[in-house]
This record gives sequence, C-alpha cells and structure tokens, in this order.
Amino acid sequence: MAEEVAEEKQSFLDKFSEVSAKIGNQVHLRSLRDGFATVMPIYILAGIAVLINNVVFPLFLTGDALANAQYWGNAITQGTLNVATIMLAGIIGYCLARNKRFKNAIACVVVGIAALCIMMPQTLSSATASISDITELTYTSTSDTTKTKTVKYDTIAKKVAPKGYQLTSVGSDNVSGAFSKTYTGTNGLFGAIIIGLVATTIFIKLSNNEKLRVNLGEGIPPAVADTFNTMFPMLITLTIFGVVAALLHALWATDLMTLINTCIAAPLKGFVNAGPWFIILVYTLANLLFCLGIHQSTISGVLAEPILTILITENMAMYAAGQTIPADHYMNMQIINTFALIGGSGCTLMLLADTFLFSKSKASKDIAKLAVLPGIFNINEPVIYGYPIVYNLPLMIPFVLIPDLFIGLTYALTCAHILAPCVVMVPWTTPVFISGFLAVGGGTAGVVAIIWQVIEFALGMLIYLPFMKVSERAQKKQMELAEQAEKDADAKAAAQTA
Amino acid sequence: MKILLACNAGMSTSLLVQKMRKEAQAQGIDATIDAEPLGPALDDVKDYDVLMLGPQIKYALGDAKEAAEGKTPVRVIAMADYGRMNAKKILADAQKAIEEG
Repeated sequence: MAEEVAEEKQSFLDKFSEVSAKIGNQVHLRSLRDGFATVMPIYILAGIAVLINNVVFPLFLTGDALANAQYWGNAITQGTLNVATIMLAGIIGYCLARNKRFKNAIACVVVGIAALCIMMPQTLSSATASISDITELTYTSTSDTTKTKTVKYDTIAKKVAPKGYQLTSVGSDNVSGAFSKTYTGTNGLFGAIIIGLVATTIFIKLSNNEKLRVNLGEGIPPAVADTFNTMFPMLITLTIFGVVAALLHALWATDLMTLINTCIAAPLKGFVNAGPWFIILVYTLANLLFCLGIHQSTISGVLAEPILTILITENMAMYAAGQTIPADHYMNMQIINTFALIGGSGCTLMLLADTFLFSKSKASKDIAKLAVLPGIFNINEPVIYGYPIVYNLPLMIPFVLIPDLFIGLTYALTCAHILAPCVVMVPWTTPVFISGFLAVGGGTAGVVAIIWQVIEFALGMLIYLPFMKVSERAQKKQMELAEQAEKDADAKAAAQTA
Repeated sequence: MKILLACNAGMSTSLLVQKMRKEAQAQGIDATIDAEPLGPALDDVKDYDVLMLGPQIKYALGDAKEAAEGKTPVRVIAMADYGRMNAKKILADAQKAIEEG
C-alpha cells in the first residue's frame, strides 16, 4: 500500500516536471526568456546610471553643476531605457531564429525592428506648446531665403489678443517629421515582444517556403540568389505589417502599439499587481520544480519574469524622471531577486548559516563550505544538488515556502509604505544587504530595506532550522540502514563461503 | 580535447569549469573546457568534442542532440556529482562520452 502511494507520488512529480519542461521549452516562450537575458545588461547599466544621477551626484553637487553632471546619466538612460523596445524587438527576433535553428538569424533582427517601427504612431498627436516655450517668430523673405526677420512672440500675441483677454495656450495640428518616442522606451516592451515574435515567425515561414526561392540558374553566384531569397520574404512580411498599420490608422485612427498597451499590457500589469497571489503561485511551482532537479526559470522565466522585468524597467524610467511609482508597479522583478532569492532560489543562504551554527553532520558542513561563496552571490546549485534539496522532502518544504512568504511580506510592506517600492534593477548576483540598499534607490529607504533583509535572514534561519534537523536525522537513519544492509550482505557472503 | 559545459545562465557551470581545468592540469590532460548558457552552447556545440549539460536543464537534452547533429556527444551531469562539484568524476564521464561518440 505504502509502495503504491509512493509510486503515485512519483508519477505525479514526473508528470509535473515533464509538463513544466514542455512549457519552458516552447520555442516562443523560450525566445522571450532568452531575449530578456540578452538585453539585461543594458537594464542593469541604466540602473547604475539612474542611481548615480539621483543618489550620488546630489550628495555633493547643486544647481547647474548638478544638471551638467546629470546629463551623463540622462544620456545613458536615453541610449538604454528610452530605446529598450526597439532593441528588444530585434533581439527577440534573433533568439527566435536561433531557437528555431533558422540559419539567417541576423535578418530576423532587421525584420523585428522594422516591423516594430512600422507599427509605431507616425505623428505626435495634438501637440500643445507651452507658452513659455515660444519666444520669437522668424520670417524668411519669399524672394531671398537668406533674409530673415525676427519678431518677439509676445509683441504679436498682445497685438491680436481680444481686449480683456490674454493668451494661455497654443494648439497645433498633429506634428509630423518627428519620430514618436511614446513607445520606444519601456512602455512599448509588450509591443516589442508580440510584434517581434509574430514578424519573425512569418518571416521564417516564408523563408522556408520553396516557392519563394529565386533560382537564377547556373553561372550566377549563389550569394546573389541568397540576397533575393532574404528580400522577398522580408518584403512580404513588412508589407503585411504596413497594411495593418494603414488600416488601423484609416479605420480607427489608432496604431497597434496603442492597442497592445491598452488591451494587453494594462490588464496584465493590473493582474500581476492584484495582490501577490499570482506571483506566489508561479514561484511555488517554480521552486517545487527546482526540488525535482529542474531549473526554476523553466517556469518562472516564461510565466512571470518578462512582465516583472517590464515593471521594474518602467519603475527605473519613472524614477529617472522624478515621478512617483504608482501602486500597480509595486510588484516587480526586484521583489523576487532582492527579497525572495537571498543566496539563490529557496533562500538557501539561511540554510547554510544554520548548518554552520547548528549542524552536527560533517557531510552537510563540507557541502556548506563549498557552497557558501557562490551562495553569497546567489548561486546555489551546489546546495540544491549537493546538500541536497532535490528529492529531499524535509528541506523541500522550507525551500518552497520561504520565498513565498518573503514575496508576500515584501509586497505587503511596500503597500503599507514601510518599504519604498523598488526603482533600480540590480543584478540578481548582487549579495544580500547591498542588493536591498540599491534596489530601493539607497538613502534612508535603502537602510530600511537592509533592516528588512536582516529580519528576513533571521526569519529564514528560524524556519529552516527544524527542517534541517529532521533532514539530518533521516539521513543518519538512511546511512545506518545502508551500513546494516552491507553488514548483512557480508555476513551472508561469509556464511555461503563457509 | 574540447569540453563544453552548459547550464541555465552559465553561472554554476563556470564554477565547475575552474575545478575541471585544475583537475585536467593535475592529470596532465590537454583539455579546453568552457561554460556557456544553453542558448550560445547550442550554437557552439559542434566546435566541441563533448557537451555536458547541468542537471537543471536536462530537459534540453533533445534540443542539444538536435543541435549537435550527431557530431558531438551530449550528456547530462549526474545531480550528486554536480552538487558536490566533483570535477574528477565529471571529467572522466566527459572522456568516456568522447570515446563512446
């Protein structure tokens, strides 16, 4: 009977890891995960620039000198966060091509970026210039374009103003000739994902279509034919996108990026922030999967991390612009990486601390010594496979529960305004305490974050301790049983030879 | 002999690589040993004599074999060996895999 139950449990766990691997291996989802992994250094760099601009420079600079110094950080923000969408569309195209083992991956970068920009709005809508921005009007002679006359704007405005009225705003038609920055930055990332994946998929499908292949006959260098073989599928793909853009503009006066943002991005962000439950569910499954030996990002990397990463990049952009972080951005990647992944998945650094202080097992202590240095940098495969956590039921329980607890509590503390919302993307390999200080933007908020991490650490040690004891007892028993079995076997062999 | 190790982000295998290089040196084996995340590893697999996957991405074995096109053997490192960073055993396994083809 007991065996039957064990067998059933085994098959359920196998099924679970099999399904997870399938999800994690799905080519579009995997490309999404790979794409974010590739673009991550740019976000980290932006985070450093934002931190230095907003925390370090104001410490010793003021006024014009501060503004001049901050130009540096703003320039980096412009080159990273403000074009994040354009980069991601190309990178996702590349990753999808690679994962589909499509040979001409670099062409997919071109397709991804081109398709994205085709879907961007062509005009800046209803520009209302602020009065203070307009200083003078310059007139050019109609006969000689080198001759100009400049009139102070104030003078004209006063002349044409009705009696008893003064000018308060200047309206204008849609501005063209300017590329809208609205969706090139962090708030277009959903569009980059969707358009990048769809455009590349169409392009690869068409490229693999034999009928679209150009055969120029012998004597023509194959490379010439190859350029056509890339061009026609590209032309068709981008034409499709262009037609859709034109239809959206003509029929509904909108564009795909706006539609994606209002119909997909906004509800998804709202969903993720409607309490910590969805994220907790995802990480419960993800950490459980790691207990079965398969990396957690197989699940979390595709179901939660893309959207959590988008949320933190938006926070960085808002923080850089001096805006307040809205409540629907409290849940983001940093809550996981900084507050629920201390020492790696399952917060195993706390288990190592327990091992050093309270463990009597030499084997555990040996592995803890090996695992502590990588653990400080949140890499814990030695703990997971060596301690081990995998298939070790007593330790699987805290390994899954502690991160859940920390996600929930950190989110609650943020909502209660005890902890400041995370505004900087810190690399996940940043050691505990430093990571907390930086993630919330340093200063007093940073100190509060460190205190919270210290409390987390103590809490984690407290929870891990009894489970560690149980695990050690079980291991000891297993070893005794194994020894006993060996002795029995020896005795049997001895009896037989006798 | 060229050995490629791959894991999720190339972090924990890079730890193992260091130990394996030392082990190879101690045994007097002339070996190039590198670690990469799964994606790049799939691109580069054919340049190596063997690809060893970390147990956390064992589900990628099929993909890796496909990428290797039968030219490079692919193996998954045993969990216990990986956890204890048992460089000696893993190096021996890699050599065995190359011999088996």
